[in-house]
Amino acid sequence: MSVIVGNGLTHWFGHDLALDNVDLVIDAGEHMAVLGDNGAGKTTLLRILATSLRPTSGTLEIAGLNSHRERRRLRHYLGYVGHALGLYPALTASENLEFFCDLHGTPAPRVREVLETVGLAGAAHRRADQLSRGQQQRLAIARAVLHEPRLLILDEPDASLGADAAELLTSLMHGKTVVLATHDHALANRLCPRTLVLRHGRSVGTATRLHVVK
Amino acid sequence: MNPVRVAIAVARKDLRSEWRTRELVPALAQFIILALLIANFGFQIDSRNANTIVPGVLWLALVFAGLVAFGRTFAAEREQASLEAMLLTPASPVAIFAGKALAALALLVACEAVMLPALALFFGVPIGVDTVMAVLLATVGMAALGCLFSAMVARVRARELLLPLLTLPLWIPFIVAGGQAVQSAMGVSSDYEEAIGLLIDFDILFVVLTSLAARFVLDE
Repeated sequence: MSVIVGNGLTHWFGHDLALDNVDLVIDAGEHMAVLGDNGAGKTTLLRILATSLRPTSGTLEIAGLNSHRERRRLRHYLGYVGHALGLYPALTASENLEFFCDLHGTPAPRVREVLETVGLAGAAHRRADQLSRGQQQRLAIARAVLHEPRLLILDEPDASLGADAAELLTSLMHGKTVVLATHDHALANRLCPRTLVLRHGRSVGTATRLHVVK
Repeated sequence: MNPVRVAIAVARKDLRSEWRTRELVPALAQFIILALLIANFGFQIDSRNANTIVPGVLWLALVFAGLVAFGRTFAAEREQASLEAMLLTPASPVAIFAGKALAALALLVACEAVMLPALALFFGVPIGVDTVMAVLLATVGMAALGCLFSAMVARVRARELLLPLLTLPLWIPFIVAGGQAVQSAMGVSSDYEEAIGLLIDFDILFVVLTSLAARFVLDE
C-alpha cells in the first residue's frame, strides 16, 4: 500500500524554481533516500512531505489524506528532522522534549525512553546550548520520534552524528516509512533500498541499491 | 489535544527561557527607567502639573516597551527555527498563539511592576489600585494585538519597521481609554468607570479577533 503519493510537485520561491514537477510514490515501510547536490531541491521536497511547505502546484497524499487540507491530522503520523534543529537553547534536553510531549499529547515518561534511545540519557539535564552539535542533532532526532510516528522525514540526519550514525538511524527507522535526504551515498545505500536523485529541482529518476553502488 | 494544556506549556516554556537568559525584562526595565528620567528632565514636571503630564509619560513608556517586547515574541522562534517544529505538532495554532500572548503579557506586567513604583518615585503621583487596574486591562488587549502582528511580521526582513506601523494604530483605542482611566485615577477627570468599561470592551473584542486571525497567520 502506498503511503506517499505525490504528483507533479512543484515549488517556486519567488522567481526561483526549487522543485519542478516531481512525482513520487512510496510504499508503507519503505525507506527511500533523496540524493542530489546543494540546491537540487532535497530540502524543499522534504519540507513539502513534512507538510511544512505547501507546493505551488501538484498534489500530495499521505496515508490517503490530502497533505494540505488534512495536515493537522497528519501531524500525529509524521516526524520531521529539518536542516535547522529548532531547539530551545535555554531549556535542558529533557525540558525541550517535555515541551513537545505537551504539544503532541504524549505521556512525559516517554522522554527518558527516547533520550536513552538516542544516547543522550547522560545529558538530559544539560541545556541545549551547552550540548555539542552532534548531541543537538540527536536531540532533534529524539523530538521527531517522540510521538512514535509511522512516517519519518529526515533531512541530513547524519550531520555531525559521528561514527554510530548508521546504527542509530537503522534502529530508529525500523518498522517505519522513511524519506531521508543526505549527501552521503554510502549511508543512503546502507539504509535505503531505493533512491530518488534530484538535479536542479527535477527528478532524474529512482534507482535501486545496486544501481547507486554501480 | 487539550488547548489549555498547550497554551500553558508554551507560556511556561517562554517564561522559563526568559528566566534563564534574562534577555528581555532587565533591558526593558532599564529602558523604562531611562524614559522616565528623560521625561522628568524634559517636561519640567512639578506637583502642579504632574497629574496631567504623568499619564502621557506612562503610556509613551509602556507603548515603546511593548513594541520591543512583542517584537521578540515570534522573532526568536523564527531565528531558532523552533516555530516550524512547534507548528508541525497537532497542537492548535490558536492555543500556541494564546501561550505566546500569555507569556508576553506576563513579561510586560513584570516591566509595569518596575514602571509604576518608579512613576510614583520620580513624579510623586499617587499610584493606586485604579491606576494599576487600568494599566493591566490595557495590557491584555495590547498583548493580544502585539503578538498577532509580531507573528505576521516575523517572516519579513523589515520587521522592526513594520511592527510599529501595524501595531500602533490599533493600540490607539487602548491608549485613549487607558489614558482617560489613569487621568481619572489621578484626579484630573471623573469618568473612570466609563474608561474602564471601554477597556474591557476593547479587550474582549481584540482578544476574540486576534484568536480568530491567529489560526490563519500561524498555519498558512
